[in-house]
Amino acid sequence: MRDRRLSRRSLLTGAVGASAALALPRVAAPQIKKGANLRLWILKTYVEPTNKAVEAAAQRWAQKHGAQVTVEYFTFEDMQTKYVAAIENKNTPDVGQLETGAPARFAGMGQLLDLTTFARQVEGDIGKAPANVAPVTVLGGKTYALPWYIMPAFWYVWRDEFEKKKVKLPSTFEDAKAAATALNRPNDNFYGLGQSWNRTADGYGVMQGLMYSYGVGWANKDGKYQSIKNAKMQQVMKWATDIYKEGIQPADTLSWTGSQNNEAFIAKKIAQTSNGPSITFALENALAKATDAKDKKMREDAVANHVALPHPAGPDGRRCWGLALSFGVFKTAKDPEAAMSLIAHLLSPEETVRVMNDSHGQFSPVLDKARAATRDYFGKNENYRNFGRAAEWFVATGWPGPVTAAAAEVQASNVLTDAPAKVIVDKWSVDQAIDWADKKIKEIYDTLGA
Amino acid sequence: MLSRADAGGRIEASRRHPRRGDTGTAILLLLPLLVLVVGLIVYPIYRAVWLSFTDKLVGYPERFVGLRNYIYLANDDAFHTVVRNSLVFTVSSVALKIVTGLAMALVLHATWRWRNFFRGLMLLPWITSTVIIALTWRWMFDSFPGRGFFNSVLLDLGLLSRPVAFMATPEGAMLAVVIANWWRGFPFFGVSYLAGMQSIPGELYEAASVDGAGSWRRFWHVTLPGLKHIIIVTTLLTFIFTINDFNIIYVMTRGGPGTATQVFATYSYEVAFNQLRWGRGVTISIFAVPLLIAGIALVSRYLLRERTA
Repeated sequence: MRDRRLSRRSLLTGAVGASAALALPRVAAPQIKKGANLRLWILKTYVEPTNKAVEAAAQRWAQKHGAQVTVEYFTFEDMQTKYVAAIENKNTPDVGQLETGAPARFAGMGQLLDLTTFARQVEGDIGKAPANVAPVTVLGGKTYALPWYIMPAFWYVWRDEFEKKKVKLPSTFEDAKAAATALNRPNDNFYGLGQSWNRTADGYGVMQGLMYSYGVGWANKDGKYQSIKNAKMQQVMKWATDIYKEGIQPADTLSWTGSQNNEAFIAKKIAQTSNGPSITFALENALAKATDAKDKKMREDAVANHVALPHPAGPDGRRCWGLALSFGVFKTAKDPEAAMSLIAHLLSPEETVRVMNDSHGQFSPVLDKARAATRDYFGKNENYRNFGRAAEWFVATGWPGPVTAAAAEVQASNVLTDAPAKVIVDKWSVDQAIDWADKKIKEIYDTLGA
Repeated sequence: MLSRADAGGRIEASRRHPRRGDTGTAILLLLPLLVLVVGLIVYPIYRAVWLSFTDKLVGYPERFVGLRNYIYLANDDAFHTVVRNSLVFTVSSVALKIVTGLAMALVLHATWRWRNFFRGLMLLPWITSTVIIALTWRWMFDSFPGRGFFNSVLLDLGLLSRPVAFMATPEGAMLAVVIANWWRGFPFFGVSYLAGMQSIPGELYEAASVDGAGSWRRFWHVTLPGLKHIIIVTTLLTFIFTINDFNIIYVMTRGGPGTATQVFATYSYEVAFNQLRWGRGVTISIFAVPLLIAGIALVSRYLLRERTA
């Protein structure tokens, strides 16, 4: 009897799920020839289930169309190297997942197909990306890529540490610094903050979030160079260097690699850090694998106790730099129709929801109907509600202007993180470092233009 | 039967007038080597030199800009730091390798129990993957609270009250990458010197002893002169490998903190692959080439002169 009731319930759940999936909009995909053979490059993130889910989604398309898809991965580390080598060797994939600056850079090189018409069609079927995300895929009025999701950073804190000292959870960068001072216990090897200005997205991404939130941009709304030699940038640099001078971080924070802030936070050696939801994945994954009761209880507490806050705001607003992942079709694609069909399939809310369900909050879809379909998923707790709102705070490289090749190079040249490092390591003055950075940025814009 | 004079005359004649068939065969036999040399050495070098005279950006055709990249780098403060770092990194690593390589060879040359076992053991750093070595040393120097090896030991012994952030200072980070590079490379020196020591005739040591030379004098007047050629060649080879080293620094520090450990290879990679400026990236690598060519030419001349004498 009990079994029958359960099976009825699961039957009902299945039926509701199936009808919901059928009700989701599907993109009128371009017609493709049988036997199409595509190479798809996707980002291998730290969240392994997401990678597998994207690959499975691509294979479902192949099966449906009697086609073949070879999925190749690039990582955060070798993303640039792989694309550069492929472009110079004329061996680009048919479809490539592109990070924030890549559509502007690659379209500027004439590597990407103009997908404006296809993008309109997708917009009609699945909806638009928010106004702050959509420009990432546009260059000179033409659309070269279709945005899928964003992966921004959040401000991770340990709730119990804040409650113990009766410190309020930070909402601004100044709050975060004040909290770090209050929570700092160097004698116990516990520090208030862990923010590295290293050569990874955890460094240059946060530096951009800090600059943009204080209203500092090195480009204007038209994407042309503007000087950063101003009082606001001095405030930015003061924050960025004071956190080192005041001893509220572990002494080797500046030399951390991209994963060391995750490790330090998870090991509960720092109270706050900026990171993508891979921290949540690590904690949830550890809980799922816990076997004995004591370990499980400890992991449950850690999951409940870690908070992913929206990235701190500055005097000019809350602007968080993040990775915006999109799909582009390279001009070397032998079958562009098939490539577009594959993209349409991956962007469909049905596939998007499937991938997102395996993403531990890291995958925040951007197209209207895909976002609507994921509302329940992001409603499950406070952290996930913040993950779901990621697009609200997202800003791309080169704010307040569009992403340009020059803006992308400013990020890639590490000038943004080298500037505070000059003050911290080489003992330059803040003004000296700002002058140096401004000169470097101007030089990039002089040679590349906007 | 040919007389020796006749045969000698024919050989001499064939040297003066090689037969057409012989020349053809010689060219045919040399052709694969020529293709390899041109394809794998001459063309890449020519291409690199050419790119250094262009403003080549990834994805765009190259345009000839003459010496603009060289002039830019000559005035670039970041590049000045790179040159200084590269020299400090290379000279310190090579000097350490020479000294410890000699020590290793001397110890392994002596007759003692377990010698063969230790000869094998000492080669371990050389055969271990560079990335593993870099990650291991990175961990050894970490001050991530309670994690790094050195900090853990010093804290446990009560010699420190707080961890030392070796990798956070320019000097500490440079020391860490130099030590990692030295550790990987010293067995090459040790094995080469050991081979050299074994080829020094024992009579020389005996004669020196008879003349009253102690162990230090025997080392100074017999061992070192006997190893002179090997020392020069290994130093030169390692200088070239070290000045072009990428893996250890990239894995351990990415050139940081700031630009404190940025060297030719890592800076060239950053400019070429991240900033997409291939022309400038290649120029960074080429800057060290005249120095290396001069070194190779000097050493080759010296060695050839010694051989002729």
